Amino acid sequence: MSDVACTHCNLTFSEEIMITEKENDKTLSFCCKGCQGVYHLLNAEGLDTFYDKLGDTTLHPAVPQSDDLEKFDLEGFKNKYIHINEDGLYEINLIIEGIHCSACVWLNEKVLHRTDGVIETSINYSTNKAKVIWDPSVVKLSHIIETIRSIGYNAYPYDPKLQEERAIKTRKTYYTRILVAVFGSMNIMWLAVAHYAGYFSGIQQSFKDILNVAEFILATPVLFYSGWIFFKGAYYGYKNNIVNMDTLVASGALSAYIYSIYAMITQRGEVYFDSVVMIITFVLVGKYLEVLSKKHAVDTLDGLMGSTPTEVTTLKEGVKSLVSIENIILNDVIELKPGEKVVIDGEVTWGEGSFDESSLTGENEPIYKKQHDTILSGSICLDSVIHYKATKDASNSMLSSIVNLLEDSLTKKPRLEQLANTISGYFSTIILIIALLTFIGWYFWVDSFEQALIVGISVIVIACPCALGLATPMATLVGISMAAKRGILFKEAALLETMAKSDILALDKTGTITEGKPSVVKADIKENFDPSMLYALVNTSNHPISKGIMAYLDANYENIEKLTLDNIKSIEAKGIHARYKDKSLIGGNAKLLQASNISVNAKTENTLFFFAIEDQLIATFELTDTIRKGAKEAIKNIQGLGVKVVMLTGDHEQSANKVASQVGIREVHAKLLPQDKAAVINRFHEEGHVVVMAGDGINDTVALASSDIAIAMGNGSDVAISVSDVVLLDEKPISIYESYKLSKRTYTAVKENLGFSLLYNVVAVPLAVLGFVTPLVAALSMSLSSLVVVGNSLRIKRLKFKNKE
Amino acid sequence: MSESIVILMIGISTLLGAIGLIALIWAVKTGQFDDQNKFTDAVRHDNEEDLKDAVMMHEKKKAYKEKMKQERLEKEKNYRPAD
Repeated sequence: MSDVACTHCNLTFSEEIMITEKENDKTLSFCCKGCQGVYHLLNAEGLDTFYDKLGDTTLHPAVPQSDDLEKFDLEGFKNKYIHINEDGLYEINLIIEGIHCSACVWLNEKVLHRTDGVIETSINYSTNKAKVIWDPSVVKLSHIIETIRSIGYNAYPYDPKLQEERAIKTRKTYYTRILVAVFGSMNIMWLAVAHYAGYFSGIQQSFKDILNVAEFILATPVLFYSGWIFFKGAYYGYKNNIVNMDTLVASGALSAYIYSIYAMITQRGEVYFDSVVMIITFVLVGKYLEVLSKKHAVDTLDGLMGSTPTEVTTLKEGVKSLVSIENIILNDVIELKPGEKVVIDGEVTWGEGSFDESSLTGENEPIYKKQHDTILSGSICLDSVIHYKATKDASNSMLSSIVNLLEDSLTKKPRLEQLANTISGYFSTIILIIALLTFIGWYFWVDSFEQALIVGISVIVIACPCALGLATPMATLVGISMAAKRGILFKEAALLETMAKSDILALDKTGTITEGKPSVVKADIKENFDPSMLYALVNTSNHPISKGIMAYLDANYENIEKLTLDNIKSIEAKGIHARYKDKSLIGGNAKLLQASNISVNAKTENTLFFFAIEDQLIATFELTDTIRKGAKEAIKNIQGLGVKVVMLTGDHEQSANKVASQVGIREVHAKLLPQDKAAVINRFHEEGHVVVMAGDGINDTVALASSDIAIAMGNGSDVAISVSDVVLLDEKPISIYESYKLSKRTYTAVKENLGFSLLYNVVAVPLAVLGFVTPLVAALSMSLSSLVVVGNSLRIKRLKFKNKE
Repeated sequence: MSESIVILMIGISTLLGAIGLIALIWAVKTGQFDDQNKFTDAVRHDNEEDLKDAVMMHEKKKAYKEKMKQERLEKEKNYRPAD
């Protein structure tokens, strides 16, 4: 039996399950109907050159999409996502799913261009985001989405106003400012070469003046346009009584600039325009890299959005209608279909079924709801049709109130800023005071205002620019780029410093320490077991337990055949009944099997799943939420760094303690509601600790927002990621340890850099105070000191994460 | 070498550089660098067909503008002051 590749998606499967057909002596094989359909569609449209462009890239098989097209033409959807431009054309931003390579982008653009009524499309090759403009009188959005789906991709809308627009705008302004700064500094540098050459070999004053004026013209836009953000930062710092990095950069650059103008006009001394532009350029590039990593986080975020429904189905006197969620009033009856997300809180009036509340509680065990039970927004209906009565309107529902709570805690987060800036602020203050004292001293000593001013400014010039200015940004810059390479995204460079100071790490249990989905830990299999039958049975359900069994079968058995079952009946919160040929299959928990008079042994702390054929017990599986790989080691290492690790969970004490003892956590806070978690964090704050919190669900977000550093898992809920300061893309617990180690290393480098520049200042500043600073000394020492700082920061790259054994 | 030559040299070279800078900033502002992969990827599929496509899209846009104009004229024609 040989494997062949699907003509459309290039994935290889065994020959016998492929759909084959003949076309002009060529044999075409398809892995599924979807791929076959797409292939013929592209051929008919004359777009088959797509396959030449595709090369060896594999695609997702073209699975037919669910039937929810009508929702794209609803009024609520239009208000939320569609923008009407001045020509009366409709505009929407879409994320296209399933794009693997540039050929896919080409195909999507091509197909959209051929659709009548589509006026403009552009798809971004890097982010797979598309902007489509169309004429609403010719084509409907649902048709556009259908077109994209028909060629095997999927598209869903997102709202660029939320994050993206702002991120792009800041990126662009930064980029423009950097361009100006680089242009200015490069040109000043070659003028400075002439300057320095003239200093050694002699230069006529008239030529020196020309160079001075040219440098002045070039430095002015750099200082005031590119350096504007530092002035703004310094102003905010002044308003809040904080001396920060920006104050130092702004005051240093500005005083050097003023001194240089003075030297230029009086034709005495040397100008320092080159160091003005250098400091602005370097620190600006550092800030820009921070902005870039933020933009990256936004791109990953947008992909998670757009899943919340804008409409719900209501039942009024037996008539079903789609109503926008804002128009739902109390006691409206709403119908929920399997797989739908609840957006409005309510009480069940008809039907029963299981709900996935994991995004609210963090626990993956589905909760069974029957008549008169309350259901909360944010949960997902898993297996049946339910009617429920709205008990709250959209704005008061659980989901919205958590979001509001979040916004509150986000605005109360100035602690962090202060912490990060203490060291550099301390030094800036001292330098500014020394400069002021020098000025006063010289003024009374020599009794010359002019000379006192020159010496005073020269103190700031020689002390400030490079070394001290670069000490923190340079080290943190190397730190965040190192972290990004390891899949750890720090949203701000200054966070490294805060993280290094933290002494408590609070961890959420489900999804952070554990995988968040049950997996098989023990399988007890009797004879006559056919994995294909069980696979087909669990494949009919979306329940996490079924998925766990499926994953187990996939990993442990080969050649699982696709079987078709009849009479499939899922019994809520218990299991599934089905028939295969003439055999009856049962899969589910102990209750379900006992109901069929099959005796089972159900004594274990893990979740059990039984499988029976013809009332004969065939297999028993024990499932549990497994602890993430490396969690124990990571926690041990973190404790080794002198950080106390505590566990916060919404789960009951028994299972919390079990997990805690397995990974070696001594302090456990169990049975916590989202608000309680935040309260625990705040108590730590009051005791004077700096707290890092790691979590993944909506239930953690309030706690995440109130901690000093919030770490989110890459697949966590979108809200959790957006309130977090650090995102772990690979979700490994060891990454938390790595970020700790990296931040501590970076912090050491910052301290070394600051120590060195302090030493440099201890030598250079007294000389400057006494008025001995010659231009040669100033120029040489400035560039040397900054080179030392850059070199020391680059040493962070040599940090090893693995313990050598 | 006289001062005016030095001024001229510095002035002209800086001016040329500044023109380049302004062009670059214009390109950034109009979003030409928003998609860094387009430079390397899109060029591989660039051919005559794509040119035709671009022309077609342009025609579509023109046709739409024409249509809007017609509609506006239509409205104006049908407009009768109340009497």
